[in-house]
Amino acid sequence: MLEGFGAIVRKDLRLEVRSGESTVALVSLSLLILVVMVLAFGPGGARRAEVAAGALWIALIFAGTLGASRALMAERESGCIRGLLLSPVEPATIYAAKLAVALIFMAEAGVAVLVMLVLFFNLEFGGGLLRLIPVFLLGALGLSALCTLLATVSGRVRAGGMLLPVLVVPLFTPALIAGSKASAALLAGQSLGAVATWLKLLCAFDVLFVTAGYLLFEHVILED
Amino acid sequence: MTDAVLQAYRISKFFGDRPVLHGINFAARSGQAAVVVGRNGVGKSTLIRVFCGLARPSAGRLLLFGEEPFRLAAPQFRRLGVLLHQTLLYPNLSAQENLEFYGEIYGVAEPAAHAAQWLARIGLQRVAGEPVSALSRGMEQRLAIARAMLADPDLILLDEPFAALDPDGVQMLAALIKEALARQAAVVFTAHAPLEIEGVDLGLFRLDSDGLKPFKEENRRRAIRSLLRRH
Repeated sequence: MLEGFGAIVRKDLRLEVRSGESTVALVSLSLLILVVMVLAFGPGGARRAEVAAGALWIALIFAGTLGASRALMAERESGCIRGLLLSPVEPATIYAAKLAVALIFMAEAGVAVLVMLVLFFNLEFGGGLLRLIPVFLLGALGLSALCTLLATVSGRVRAGGMLLPVLVVPLFTPALIAGSKASAALLAGQSLGAVATWLKLLCAFDVLFVTAGYLLFEHVILED
Repeated sequence: MTDAVLQAYRISKFFGDRPVLHGINFAARSGQAAVVVGRNGVGKSTLIRVFCGLARPSAGRLLLFGEEPFRLAAPQFRRLGVLLHQTLLYPNLSAQENLEFYGEIYGVAEPAAHAAQWLARIGLQRVAGEPVSALSRGMEQRLAIARAMLADPDLILLDEPFAALDPDGVQMLAALIKEALARQAAVVFTAHAPLEIEGVDLGLFRLDSDGLKPFKEENRRRAIRSLLRRH
């Protein structure tokens, strides 16, 4: 199982390093969203932490959707997903590898977003930002799990790329609320203990969608 | 019939209301080769996709290595080599990287060395570092054949493997099929017209709307003679 997992992840990262398509798209989209948010709400003000947290999660949700869909679309476009399905690799392992790749792309986008967030919203590099890391990782894991599963479904229909955000956003709403509330509190200087309830909600979301993806991937990826 | 690695019982396949395959009965046995002939659009590619378990039959029963494909344990797919109409190769990876990747997921020992050996066998060692997107169609077909046969599978299903191959490529593929039969693999492939491989006793089947029927010996000779005359 680990051989197949490692081989698929290495192959996807090699393809990304070679083309850079996802990285460029993710960073550009994140930048665009943050610029729009800054122009709409302004960089300062009393509610700076809340606006910055909202901008972070809006950028992540769209960049994450894009990253996860590209990892699967590339397999479908070249027909190579059939090569994987005909191989001795378990479909659940293929899902785990695609989830890992989506998470890596999302983490990459997250770092770019955080840097841009500090610059655009005049935030300070410090403890508040470091405390965002667990919140971000929990949110990114759930979003990657959800996007990977739904990208498998939407990839089977025409214009599936357009359909993906429509499917993802409503389902991700509980985690989105938890993530943005926790991020706003942390950026306002509160401790991780103060946002424990939101973190538990993010953990529950992750367990639910990672398990669902692991169990359902086999059924949604196979052809009729 | 314990040596049958693939058994199809009255397989039918519909796309919506449109029937594509109807009442297919077939068995592929170790050490035997069969070629399925049919006109364009008759369902040869669908037949291969159903036989390898990629597409689920609408009716009937299919057994791969004695199990229904959807119940077959993943490690058993190591015994299956499939060439589809699509090459299943990554255009942005090189020929060597593609074979290495498939070698890794098939659990081949020393995938890099194995890939290099296969590239030499199919005459592509000089383009080993080229991305697949830069290869000609014939070269891609050779590479796709190597990908399908990389792990020495027990059952080899090839969809129009001779398409796009030059005479050297045809010789190479014929040699690979003979090697596979010599190690008791079963080989099933499709073609537009009847053909022969020297030294191989090919079972010849015709696919049409009535199903999959063996060619009668007399018709088989006539079809091959007519094809040879045309070429």
